[in-house]
Amino acid sequence: MIPILFDGVVQGLQLALLAVGITMIYGLGGILQLAHGQVAVMAAMVAALLIAAGVNAVLASAAGILAVALFSVAMDWSLLRPAYRYRGEERLLLSLVLTLGLAFLVDGFLTFRYPEIALTLRLRTPSVVVGGITVRTASIAVSVLAAAAFTLLALFLVKTWLGRAVRSLMQNDVGAALCGINADRTRTFIVGLSGLLAGLAGIAQGLFSSVGPEMGSEFTILALIVAVVGGVRSLTGTVTAGLLLGVVNAFASYLVGTYMTLILLLGVALVTILVRPQGLLAYWA
Amino acid sequence: MRQGFSRATVVTLLTTALVLAPAPWILAWVLRGGQYAFRITTLMLVNATYAVAFNLIFGHTKQLFLCVGALAGSSAYLAVVLERDLGWPALLTTGLGLLFAAGLGGLVSYVSVRRGLGVIFVGIVTLAVSLIFQNLLLGFRRYTNGETGIDTHGLGIGLGDRVVAYYVFVGLLLLALAVYALLMGSPAGMAFRALSGDELAAELAGIDVTRYKVLAAAVGSAVIGLAGALFSDYNGFINPSIYALAQVDIVVLIVLIMGGMRTLLGPVIGAVVFAAIDHVVRPFGQVTVLVYGVFLIVLFVAFREGLVPVLRRAARLPIP
Repeated sequence: MIPILFDGVVQGLQLALLAVGITMIYGLGGILQLAHGQVAVMAAMVAALLIAAGVNAVLASAAGILAVALFSVAMDWSLLRPAYRYRGEERLLLSLVLTLGLAFLVDGFLTFRYPEIALTLRLRTPSVVVGGITVRTASIAVSVLAAAAFTLLALFLVKTWLGRAVRSLMQNDVGAALCGINADRTRTFIVGLSGLLAGLAGIAQGLFSSVGPEMGSEFTILALIVAVVGGVRSLTGTVTAGLLLGVVNAFASYLVGTYMTLILLLGVALVTILVRPQGLLAYWA
Repeated sequence: MRQGFSRATVVTLLTTALVLAPAPWILAWVLRGGQYAFRITTLMLVNATYAVAFNLIFGHTKQLFLCVGALAGSSAYLAVVLERDLGWPALLTTGLGLLFAAGLGGLVSYVSVRRGLGVIFVGIVTLAVSLIFQNLLLGFRRYTNGETGIDTHGLGIGLGDRVVAYYVFVGLLLLALAVYALLMGSPAGMAFRALSGDELAAELAGIDVTRYKVLAAAVGSAVIGLAGALFSDYNGFINPSIYALAQVDIVVLIVLIMGGMRTLLGPVIGAVVFAAIDHVVRPFGQVTVLVYGVFLIVLFVAFREGLVPVLRRAARLPIP
C-alpha cells in the first residue's frame, strides 16, 4: 500500500508541476494555453539533442528549461499580446485558437524534423531503500525538484513585490493597474515562468520514461484536466488536484487494467468538477 | 419577431443547394479524379453538418462541447453493433443512435447548467467524456474490435455508392441548416440570442435558461449523431480514431470559428475553406501539421470574427 501511495504522490507532484503553468496563465490573463504540453516536450527535446551532442546531462536539462522559458516569452510577445486587447470570452476564444495553432506548429515541426529524438535520463543508482520500502531514485529526485519548485513559487508569490503584483493582478486587473502595476510586463514574466515550470516537468518525465515529440498533446490534456479540477485560479487547488489524481492513477493502475485506469481517472476528474465546480479548495483558498 | 424562414434564409439555402449539387463533378473535372473529388466534398459536407450543430451548441448557447466526435462515434458504434449483432434494421438502429446522442448531449448539458459550470469547465467535462468514450471503445474489444475497428460494408442504409452518399449528405446538411434556421426563427431563437448576450439578464427576463441550453444541446447532438451514424455507413469501416478529438472536435472548432460563429452560412463556408486548405497542405506529407498550425494562426489573426462578416462587408449582402 505505502509504495503505491508514494508512487501516486510522485505522479501527482509531476502532474501539478505540469498544470501549474496553465493555472497561472489562466488566472492572470484569462488565457488558456493549449501549447503547454508542447512546451514541456520542447524542453525535453532540446535537452536530448544537447546530450546527443555530448553535453553533460544536468547542463543540457538546464539549457532545455531555459530555452522553453525564452520560447514562452517570445510566444507572449507575438501571440498572446494581441489577445489581451480583447476581454472576456473573446479573449479566451482568440487565445484558444492561437495557442492551438502554435501546438500544431510545434507538434508538426518536432515530429517532422526530429522523429527519432527522445529524452531518457538515467540516474546512476536505480533504487534505494527508504523507511523500509524500495523506491526509485528518480522518484525521489522528482519529488525533491517538484517540492523545491512549489516552495520557491509560494515564497515568490507571498514574499516578493513582483509576486504580490501577480496575485493582485489575478484578483482584479483594473485595481492592480491603478496601483501602478504594469500588467503586460507582469504577464510576460508569468508566461515565461510557466514555460520554465513546464520545461521542468518535461525533463522530470524523462527520468521515468522516454519523452518523444508526439507526447505534447497528451501532456496538454493531462495538465488541463488537473488545472480545471483544481479550479483554474488557485495554485494550492492545482497542487491538491495533481496529488488527488496522481494517487487515484497509481491505485487504479495497481488494481485494474490500462483502459479502466484511464476511465477511472477521468471519471474522478469529472465527478470532482461536477461536485465542486469552483475548484477543490474553492471555499478555503 | 420573424417566424419561420426569412427571405434571406430561403435564398441562402437554395444557393447552397445549387452550388453543392454540381460541386463534386466540377471538382472531378478540375482535379481529374472522380473518386478523390467525391471523397473530399463528402468529408466537407460531414464537417459542415457537425459545425452547424456545434454552432447551435457553442455559438448560441456557449456550451463548449468538446465531445462532438464522441457523440457522433457513440451513435455510429451503437447503430453498427446493434445491426451487426442483433440483426435489427439499419433505419431503426440509425434512429436509436441519433436518440442516444441527443440524450447524451442533453444530459451533459443539463448537468452542466444545473451545476453552473463556466465555458472552460464544460469544455473539460466534455473533453473527459470524449476520452472516456475513446477508452471504452478500446476496452470493450469484444464488441468494438478495439483499434482495428469494424468493417461496415453491407451494414447501414446503403451509402456504399459515392454519388448516392454525396447527395444524401447534401440533404443532411440542408436539413441541419433548415433545422437551425427554423429554431433561430422561433421563440427559442430569441431565447438563444438573449442568453448568448447575458445569461443572468436572460434569466431575469423570464427565459428558462436551463431549458433552452438543454434544447440546443439535444437538437445539436441529434444532428451530430445522425451525421456520425451515416458517416460510418459511407466510410465502409469505423475505428476509434475516426471519431477522435483531433479528427473531429478540433476540425469542427476550426471550421466554425473560421466561417463565423452565430451565422447560418459560416459552418458551410468554414468547411469549404478547410477542405481547400487540407487539399493544398496534404502533399507536404509530414509537415502537414506544421503548415496547418501556421494557416490557423494567420487566418485567425486576419479574420478574427470569421469569414461571413468579411463577406457581408465585401459583397454588401445581408448573408445570414
